[in-house]
Amino acid sequence: MPRLHGWGWLVLGGVTVVMLILPYLVKSSFAVDIFIRVLLFSFIGTAWNLLGGYAKQLSLGHAAFFGLGAYTSTLLQIDFGISPWIGMVAGGLVAMLASLPIGWLCFRLRGPYFTIATIATAQVLMLIFLKFRDFAWGAEGTTIPNLGHAPLMMQFETKIPYYYIVLGLLCVALMITAGIERSRLGYYLVAIGEDEDAAEAIGVDVPRIKRNIYMVSSFLTALAGTFYTQYIYFIDPQTAFNFNVSIEAALVSIVGGIGTLWGPVIGTVLLETTSALLQSWLGNSIGGVQLTIYALILMAVILWRPTGIMGYLIEVYGRRLRSNPAEA
Amino acid sequence: MFETIAQAVINGLLIGGIYALVSIGVTLIFGVVKIVNFAQGEFVMIGMYISFFLATQFGIDPILSLFVSMPVLFFVGVVIQHFLIRRVLGLNDLPQIFLTFALSLLILNLALMLLTANYRTVHTWYSDEAFHIGGLYIPVAKFIAFVLAMVLSGTLWVFLHTTDLGKAMRAASQNRDVAQLMGINPDRVFAVALGVALALAGAAGSLLMPFYPAYPLVGQVFVLMAFVAVVLGTLGNVIGALVASLLMGIAESLGIQFIGADSGLIVVFLLLLTTLAVRPSGLAGGWRR
Repeated sequence: MPRLHGWGWLVLGGVTVVMLILPYLVKSSFAVDIFIRVLLFSFIGTAWNLLGGYAKQLSLGHAAFFGLGAYTSTLLQIDFGISPWIGMVAGGLVAMLASLPIGWLCFRLRGPYFTIATIATAQVLMLIFLKFRDFAWGAEGTTIPNLGHAPLMMQFETKIPYYYIVLGLLCVALMITAGIERSRLGYYLVAIGEDEDAAEAIGVDVPRIKRNIYMVSSFLTALAGTFYTQYIYFIDPQTAFNFNVSIEAALVSIVGGIGTLWGPVIGTVLLETTSALLQSWLGNSIGGVQLTIYALILMAVILWRPTGIMGYLIEVYGRRLRSNPAEA
Repeated sequence: MFETIAQAVINGLLIGGIYALVSIGVTLIFGVVKIVNFAQGEFVMIGMYISFFLATQFGIDPILSLFVSMPVLFFVGVVIQHFLIRRVLGLNDLPQIFLTFALSLLILNLALMLLTANYRTVHTWYSDEAFHIGGLYIPVAKFIAFVLAMVLSGTLWVFLHTTDLGKAMRAASQNRDVAQLMGINPDRVFAVALGVALALAGAAGSLLMPFYPAYPLVGQVFVLMAFVAVVLGTLGNVIGALVASLLMGIAESLGIQFIGADSGLIVVFLLLLTTLAVRPSGLAGGWRR
């Protein structure tokens, strides 16, 4: 990511202003719901991208942390009356701790086997929550008691506050990513992503770096889990540990541009817009349409633009710089 | 007690034959082409629907529809190798993993769209029949499926060890570059590997149809089993995958018998994770490039 100059700052400032007033520009709560989904999956994708994008550890098990975050805050809220704001951080910490044994197990493996192992860990967690009904309501799940307008319990009467919460989360994740990108850690991650053995050979402590970035990534993903549960007022193992969360986290990053700051955001905007348009054309009647389109987009990106949309933009932008040196 | 265990072992062994067909396909593709086919389960699903439609439209017995599902899926395999997988060979992990993953998503959701999520079953004259040996109960449909699965696996083994093409495939799986230097055409070998692997998945589908419902997500059950079996049996090893699949079937069945009906999968996943934890050096070694 090149440092921003005049125009870059202007665009970023403009986008920020638009994002801040967006919920007041559109009146329909359907639209606000779509914006919230876009921001939420941008956030999850950004969290995934730290591990999957920069270090190229292609996890398909981030639902594990999403679910742990969701369950931690919900259990704290319902059993102990603790606010989800605290529960959210607690969920993040639980996910961070869980990432240690999961990482210990999965990081022994490479390539497709790392991916399969991460799928298995998320599925095992889902099956455990399905099985132990006394502990966390089993398969039926539970609804979050609706307190009406209770900002301290992360409950609001309109969707607009949720919009700002998830916008805030996304900003935090992007700032963390931007910070890491420019730090020593960022270069280590890219080195690991390029060639793990070579990175190890030149003295990068690969296991430690992977462990650290997995902790950051899982912490952030867990925050999304808490947010989502508070937003839909419901939790069960199938939604909390939904494989689609793992898929979408990876998908938006790959389509947008793996290992780039804005890739997951751009990917989510494209995919969620497509899916919203499809829904308004076809309605919700036909199952599978959305993921069919996602799969086609994913295949097209892999076969023709493996670096994603951001990779393409950087390529074009770079070419323009070269052909017109005065501008550079 | 003994009888319960024996019955559970038999049930596991019978379904393990089907797992074997799926996991042999996965291990064959991995061994030869060095790609993990996440979509293998979806081809089992396609095999099941082929048999389902042949049975309901033309009254053809699902077992006989092997002769349709296997060639059709062989052809599909060759096409997929030629137009998709060939393009990501030699690239890094990302395209290799997510290409077959996207293929799996695509087929699964197309099936949901076109065929709906309804369960489809085919009832044959032998669907409800069973052999009774002592106190043990052996369903005929599962028995036929198991026997044919073993016959197909055996045929593949003979093919790999006696024919030139089979030897070329084994050579390519041992060392692709050297095999190429020896005059083996990798494109052809890869296409046959994909074709054979998918034909086995199609066979698994047809064999399942008399006693198992077809639905779009059905492949997921089998592909997970296959991954575990393939890891347990060391990657790329056909006999290993076969033995591991039978053991997996038994482990799952014992899990269902003694821990609870919904715990079959958890046993399988825990097996996978323990294998990964206990045998990391062998596995990681196998996965270094």
